[in-house]
Amino acid sequence: MNRKILGISTNAAAGLAVVLLIVGAAVGYYVGLSAAPAPPPPPPMLPDVIKIGVMQPFSGPLGSLGPEITRGAKLAAYLVNQTGGIGGRMIQLVIEDSPADAAKAVDAAKKLVEVDGVKVIIGPATSREVLAIAKYVNDRQVVLISDSATSPRISTDFPDDYVFRSVGSDAGQAAAVAALLELKGYTRAVVVVVADDYGLGIGNKLKQIAPTRVAGLIAFDSGKGDYRAELQQVQALNPDVIFYAGFVQDLNVMFKQALALGLEKIPTIGAEGLKTTDFFNAAQYGREVGDYMFKSGMIGIGTHIATDTLAYKHFAEQHKKVFGVDPGLFADTTFDATMLAIGAIARAGVYEGPAVRKALIDVSQTYAGPSGPKNLDINGDPPQDYDVWAVVQKQDTYDIAIIGFWSAGGGIKLNP
Amino acid sequence: MVELTLNFAQILVNSVITGSVFLLASLGLSLTYGLLKFPNVAHAEFFTFGAYMAITFGEFWKLGFALGAVGGFFASGLLGLAAYVTIFRPLTRRGASLIHMTVASVGLGLALRFSIQQVWGRQIILFKEEFGKFDIGPVRLTDLWVTIIIAAIVLGIGFHLLLSRTKLGKAIRATADNPVLAMASGINTEKILVIVWFLGSGLAGVGGVFKGADARIAPIMGFEVIITAFAVVILGGIGSFYGTVVASYILGFAENLGVVALFYLDLTIEYRTAVSFIILVAVILLKPEGLAQIQLRAIKRNSTA
Repeated sequence: MNRKILGISTNAAAGLAVVLLIVGAAVGYYVGLSAAPAPPPPPPMLPDVIKIGVMQPFSGPLGSLGPEITRGAKLAAYLVNQTGGIGGRMIQLVIEDSPADAAKAVDAAKKLVEVDGVKVIIGPATSREVLAIAKYVNDRQVVLISDSATSPRISTDFPDDYVFRSVGSDAGQAAAVAALLELKGYTRAVVVVVADDYGLGIGNKLKQIAPTRVAGLIAFDSGKGDYRAELQQVQALNPDVIFYAGFVQDLNVMFKQALALGLEKIPTIGAEGLKTTDFFNAAQYGREVGDYMFKSGMIGIGTHIATDTLAYKHFAEQHKKVFGVDPGLFADTTFDATMLAIGAIARAGVYEGPAVRKALIDVSQTYAGPSGPKNLDINGDPPQDYDVWAVVQKQDTYDIAIIGFWSAGGGIKLNP
Repeated sequence: MVELTLNFAQILVNSVITGSVFLLASLGLSLTYGLLKFPNVAHAEFFTFGAYMAITFGEFWKLGFALGAVGGFFASGLLGLAAYVTIFRPLTRRGASLIHMTVASVGLGLALRFSIQQVWGRQIILFKEEFGKFDIGPVRLTDLWVTIIIAAIVLGIGFHLLLSRTKLGKAIRATADNPVLAMASGINTEKILVIVWFLGSGLAGVGGVFKGADARIAPIMGFEVIITAFAVVILGGIGSFYGTVVASYILGFAENLGVVALFYLDLTIEYRTAVSFIILVAVILLKPEGLAQIQLRAIKRNSTA
């Protein structure tokens, strides 16, 4: 039977229907494809000049460090701008003095946010400043990446928020010290720390991690210049080891007095801040400071800096080329903080706090710079490895030698 | 409760050292306070200046610690003398009030502190001199500590002899008691004032040298000790030598034993400066005239009995 519908044969009609169906489905698919997963992304809304705030100490007790730290940020901005910025938009650093003082840090942060309108701040250097402005930047949704503030309180007091850092938390350092106490079998450690967010941060964390190995915690005031009473208390606690966390400007006085009191018979462990040959500057402090460290057999924990990586070599080379000097303290972490910020802004496509914050966590997962991998965790902290160091004799003075390594996963390993 | 192993012999020695430095720091302050009836806040800077001059003579110019300390004494003495002759004496002659004199001394103190900072820098300096260290039984001593204690003893005996056995001492006591009467009795009060300012400031300088060698030198070191020095002066009774000696060691012991008490209370030893102030406040409330008056009254009672 050859039935015809509208003059077209049934077979032809069926074929046409199949073709129409296929074409319709294909068209529908493509139309659906472009419409279904939300509207197309907005075109980049970045301002012509992207202002990033930098807060570092240019005056006050750490005033000498500001310039060398800031060179890291300047280098990052320079390298990005040299290759056209973010899609033609240039990075401009707005640098403010933040002299390791909480009140002045708040002023500097407010100026950067209210006057300059920055959405990202690199710095400030110390934990007390970061803690002082953390609430403000959270309220104003401004991303903060500190390059050198290591207090565990930054993570615990402000966990899931706008506060990040490109340097590891001292929670890791405390864990490394605890591992060292265990390895050496110490059970009566006296913890002597500078009475600020840094010192108390690491001291209290150590007490919390290794409660059975810590006999007491003594916090000393920075800048006081006479620590006999503190040392008297150390002696009274009858320690089998003393753990010091502080900086050379106070500890040189304390170590000189410790030697006078005969404390060199008790072994010592030093935190990150003690891993410096500044203590052995006999022309400035005399020999007794170094004598105490050596005679007490001081070993310690310090941030592991892999200067043999390609990223570091490239960074150091560029730094030397641009500024004519080798990178100083925290220049690498400041460089990484700035690079992460720029990467996050580029990925966000808008210069707004919430978008940059979200993008920062994403970008950081695959970022590794001169100061190492920066995959930020939920608290905004990157992973951190530590070296184990010791004070050794070197001709007629002393030096710091690396004798081991600690990582969160691998624990402590001393070199054979 | 914290488990503590206390070495009381050492605490005793530490207290004597602390007290000796307090004595050196505050004797001049007490005497000039007694003579001119105003608290010389700039006295703190004589303490600091002595330390800086001693390290300059002793270590930068390589004359040795002993000569440095002597240099510190003379430098601070001359500075104090200059301050008296150029600032405080003209002010007294113009009939400046207590407030004028005090404010002038605060101003002078600040000017000196910042000048010191300008010349030697803000950075702390440590004496490079290495003092011998030895143990006597459970007590650790250093040559420096022995020197500090001996210096304080020599000062104590010397000043006692000066005041009690010499004409000059008699004149000093008379001038402190009643300058007008002293002058009327033919005492050259001007000469007395010059000597007392020189000696008092010089001793503060030596105190600074010892404190600087024991700890560190910094522009702020005088300021750190001045409040305790005032506590000593008020506790001892303004202008009283014997009161100052007793008060220095009371505060020296209070600070060091206070630290022990703070251990037991599990409080931070930062409270130890508070110990001096609590004593000071208590003295002002209960015996505003200080230890000297207690002693005087006791003597009077004895003499009338």
